[in-house]
Amino acid sequence: MNPATDAMNFLQQAPRFLFFTGKGGVGKTSIACATAIELAQRGQPVLLVSTDPASNVGQVFGIPIGNRITPVPAVPGLAALEIDPQAAAQAYRDRIVGPVRGLLPEDVVRGIEEQLSGACTTEIAAFDEFTGLLTDTALTQAYAHILFDTAPTGHTIRMLQLPGAWTGFLEAGKGDASCLGPLAGLEKQRAQYRAAVDALADPVRTRLVLVARAQTSTLNEAARTHAELAAIGLSQQHLVINGVFPEEQAADDPLAVAIVQRERAALRQLPPALATLPTDRIPLKPFNLVGLDALRHLLGSSKPAVTDAGPPLVPLVAPNLSALVDDIAADGHGLIMLMGKGGVGKTTMAAAVAVDLARRGLPVHLTTSDPAAHLAETLHGSLENLSVSRIDPHEVTAAYRAHVLATKGAALDAAGRAVLEEDLRSPCTEEIAVFQAFSRIIREAGRKFVVMDTAPTGHTLLLLDATGAYHRDIVRQMGSTGVHFTTPMMQLQDPKQTKVLLVTLAETTPVLEAANLQADLRRAGIEPWAWIINHSVAATMVRSPLLRQRAHHERAEIEAVATRHARRYAVVPLLQSEPVGVQRLQELVLNGAPHERAM
Amino acid sequence: MTSIQIFDPALCCSSGVCGQDVDPALVSLSADLDWARGHGANIERFNLAQQPLAFAQNTTVKAFLERSGAEALPLVLVDGEVALAGRYPNRAELSRWAGLGAAAPSPAAGSCCAGGRCC
Repeated sequence: MNPATDAMNFLQQAPRFLFFTGKGGVGKTSIACATAIELAQRGQPVLLVSTDPASNVGQVFGIPIGNRITPVPAVPGLAALEIDPQAAAQAYRDRIVGPVRGLLPEDVVRGIEEQLSGACTTEIAAFDEFTGLLTDTALTQAYAHILFDTAPTGHTIRMLQLPGAWTGFLEAGKGDASCLGPLAGLEKQRAQYRAAVDALADPVRTRLVLVARAQTSTLNEAARTHAELAAIGLSQQHLVINGVFPEEQAADDPLAVAIVQRERAALRQLPPALATLPTDRIPLKPFNLVGLDALRHLLGSSKPAVTDAGPPLVPLVAPNLSALVDDIAADGHGLIMLMGKGGVGKTTMAAAVAVDLARRGLPVHLTTSDPAAHLAETLHGSLENLSVSRIDPHEVTAAYRAHVLATKGAALDAAGRAVLEEDLRSPCTEEIAVFQAFSRIIREAGRKFVVMDTAPTGHTLLLLDATGAYHRDIVRQMGSTGVHFTTPMMQLQDPKQTKVLLVTLAETTPVLEAANLQADLRRAGIEPWAWIINHSVAATMVRSPLLRQRAHHERAEIEAVATRHARRYAVVPLLQSEPVGVQRLQELVLNGAPHERAM
Repeated sequence: MTSIQIFDPALCCSSGVCGQDVDPALVSLSADLDWARGHGANIERFNLAQQPLAFAQNTTVKAFLERSGAEALPLVLVDGEVALAGRYPNRAELSRWAGLGAAAPSPAAGSCCAGGRCC
């Protein structure tokens, strides 16, 4: 046994099921792999289940794994299984749509497929795949621990718990069409889902490990997940803060010092709900987490000497944000939507683009749904051509829910109402409510620039377009003005009128997530106009070996974005402090390339 | 017994939560179906997104989709024959098809449609 890993709280008296959850890119899979190795080394047979769409578990262990339980020869006692949620969702769609392909008109089949192409379906399909592992079967009996590098969301579990959600589905297959589209094709018996949900909520059998970084946005997200899953019975929770920058490695590198200070501040302001959880901190490692040796060291507190950070850094040559804004400005007006996962800096990028457009004398309306929109608010009234507005996503979503419940919900019985209420807690609902709230402002894009820090997914747009509801809404809004109009979908598909900027980080998972968002938009006929790679260390000149190593890793990701994913792109450097105010945002736009930076 | 079959369009959820606005027709339909079933009517409902095979295996429904497309749904069959298309039935229609005439005391007597809704 490794005495160092013994010190990790989340490994103490490990129960049968361990779930690792957290935002993309925080290191869930690495920690799950390292945990699996550690527990197997203690002589307990372990099954590791990865649902990462870009699972590198096979690569880590040097064998092909895939969708069947495969023993890992290099680690006695360890077996692994990879579930690809996208493939699971596709198989699930094929199960429903396959039998009618060629029988029903093609556009009808496409419509059905779209209904089953949302994030909820992907999650349910993945849950469907691993539900058998949570109930005692011959398949899993041999394992003392089963580790998952993901966890179902509260929304999914709550849905599965509602009796109303199942009415008429698995049993009779007729009866009222339920709200639960994604549950329609579930193969397994309801009893098995109940057993799986019970296992999740059993503190003796299940531990949830919240993985976060020492960053406010990921910690806030962990706090939300904590509250949501604790409410449905997953009370055994641990917090792991991964990749904490070691203070002693920050010497005389201003950026590293700034990172250490920012992380310390984030940890000082830890959300109260998280502060009471048993917590572990894993320092940032000076090595790449690939291969068994590296993973064995991940959970150890031993400090291998900082390896050579590679060849000297040559300045990154990449377009800065200003070059993108040049092209945007040329059209004189239009809708600019910043899209990306939480925490990548959409609001900052939106503010920077807006400021740079306004500085050129162009009329700009910056509108944000960031609940902590102090950044945007400080801009209000600071530039002549710039107006700023904000909608509160919680407020508009609550109003939307209340409206639906008051209309649709009024006629439902208690069970039906419970299902509807849960339906209204899905992420899609918030997306729709927020986008709807923005729709009035969006119309201004015909005569000025409207810059938004959010965008609907392609899936949502396709559904809105298919039901015609969005179309009707716009007809109603524009009907009296007498002007000609295109459908909102046409407006979004026309790059002259609408530009979607995908914001991401130069790391594997965030780039993959952005590529998925792009594929989703393309399904809706919308081609993202450009990618912005934010918080790039490679776009800075750093001395700290840890940061230089990270800069080297980033190069490969930036290269992938530039050559494989993006039509246009820009790289924005990691800054020492948050850019607040016109002056700082302006610097951010211009100082993309390190050789232009005065450090 | 008379069989009433309702073929719904592909709604991501029958509540229409995904749309901009909840379709009021769906609201009243739920209540009307409950009422009719409570009086012994035999009613089945199929959602295109969830039970597409039911659409493909019924020659009448399949031909309807080929001719008019999914936009023309919903479609109502009574004993296998097309009774209504393009809108949902009201309580009076359900009652008539199911032969519930005598047992259909309209809660809003004298109004042209049941359920207290005004036309």
